[in-house]
Amino acid sequence: MSQADGYNFAYLDEQTKRMIRRAILKAVAIPGYQVPFGGREMPLPHGWGTGGMQVTASVIGTDDRLKVIDQGADDTTNAISIRRFFARTAGVETTEKTADATLIQTRHRIPERPLKNGQILIYQVPVPEPLRFIEPRDSETRKMHALREYGAMQVKLYEDVARFGHIATSYDYPVMVNGRYMMCPSPIPKFDNPKMDRMPALQLFGAGFEKRIYAVPPYTEVKSLDFDDHPFEVQQWEGSCEICGSDHSFLDEVITDDAGSKMFVCSDTDYCRERLAEQSAATTEEVAL
Amino acid sequence: MTALTKGLHTVDAGLLIGGFDDPVQQSQQLFRQLLTVTSEPGRIETVTATSQQPDGLNVASWALALSLFDADCTVWLSPSLAAQPSLISNLMFHCQTRLVEHADEADFAFCNAAELNSLQGFSFGSAEYPATSTSLIVQVPGLSGEPCWTLSGPGIETTRSVRVCGLSEPLQAELIDSRHRFPSGIDCFFSCADQLMALPRSTQITITEKEA
Repeated sequence: MSQADGYNFAYLDEQTKRMIRRAILKAVAIPGYQVPFGGREMPLPHGWGTGGMQVTASVIGTDDRLKVIDQGADDTTNAISIRRFFARTAGVETTEKTADATLIQTRHRIPERPLKNGQILIYQVPVPEPLRFIEPRDSETRKMHALREYGAMQVKLYEDVARFGHIATSYDYPVMVNGRYMMCPSPIPKFDNPKMDRMPALQLFGAGFEKRIYAVPPYTEVKSLDFDDHPFEVQQWEGSCEICGSDHSFLDEVITDDAGSKMFVCSDTDYCRERLAEQSAATTEEVAL
Repeated sequence: MTALTKGLHTVDAGLLIGGFDDPVQQSQQLFRQLLTVTSEPGRIETVTATSQQPDGLNVASWALALSLFDADCTVWLSPSLAAQPSLISNLMFHCQTRLVEHADEADFAFCNAAELNSLQGFSFGSAEYPATSTSLIVQVPGLSGEPCWTLSGPGIETTRSVRVCGLSEPLQAELIDSRHRFPSGIDCFFSCADQLMALPRSTQITITEKEA
């Protein structure tokens, strides 16, 4: 694809990219620490992925193949818009296939297919500070991180246990990175948390509104907070995906009419499509035999 | 020959060399290599960048400067590098960097391995603001995957062996000791000719074989 005229490569100006690149390198060197950066205005509103886009714009090159997902889906408005934005401003190839992508920008999901070393996963983050709803002052949360003073979060999780009998936090579930920094994994379902642990791909996080960048290098320990007697657990479904039959992927509940009918389908559209293709290939083989 | 005075230093037009042929794409390519080496400590990348370098810098160091530096960052040069007018002119012309006298004010510091005796003097950042530390770019006489240091930590699946030549024993001890100060610390890039390697503060070092 060719690049649109009138814009610098990947939209951002070079000085902004350099500033973001320096911040990314620091973030990678201090896994889980939120590095402040000078967030820029992007041609779409805050909350639509401007942080992730600024990171993507600073990292992307002509050889990259970009995939963008929104809640696991490649075909939602936000994902299509961002993919088209970079196809236009950087002239890069785009893909919906997780296996073929070198860069994956994501809003709130980690693909089901395990990522490889060399791929980069870029998260869009609304609120980067895991302690923000416990302590509103930035000066205080900064001190809490400096002193590794994370008891307040354990108390919050304990309150869940006391009220509901289990940890009720189901998304944006806090993690400890490399045993040092408490980190907000962005609002991914806690179902995805175990995928972050020792992931072979590099994970970068961009928060545009709060102007913070943080990172988890490949093969880094990422542990979800829990208690000895209430270990971390992920949610499970009784049914399976009605399209591909998967009983191990994250399922979305879809309302199909106004009479209350509903079905469960894979949230990761590429994974579902891939499984369907495999199944139809297998059936064709059987018929041929 | 014209000389433009900027602060204490001067740009001598006669000493200027070319930078990147394609600044946008080459900066991006070099940044991706920097990102790879930083996220996988001990991994060595080969840089293909410029045909010429200013006196005192190797290919990899000069490419790093062209890719990352601008008027927003401060740079400190070790004494032998600070004595190179060609380096100062080209850094100021191509990157508009501010050169500083004191190492602890620098965002980046260029050193030759032989001149680096201690990490004292550089900024380690603070517990609240660890990212304000100095990043060191050390030019070393050799880099390889021979088992001299064993590295472990984030970015390394199990362990990785590297050999960084030319670092004094007290400096190696100081590097290892500085790991206790995490999250404060110093991130190092080692460059040798066109080779580049990173040693971020999160990497643990064990000396397996002393350098002869």
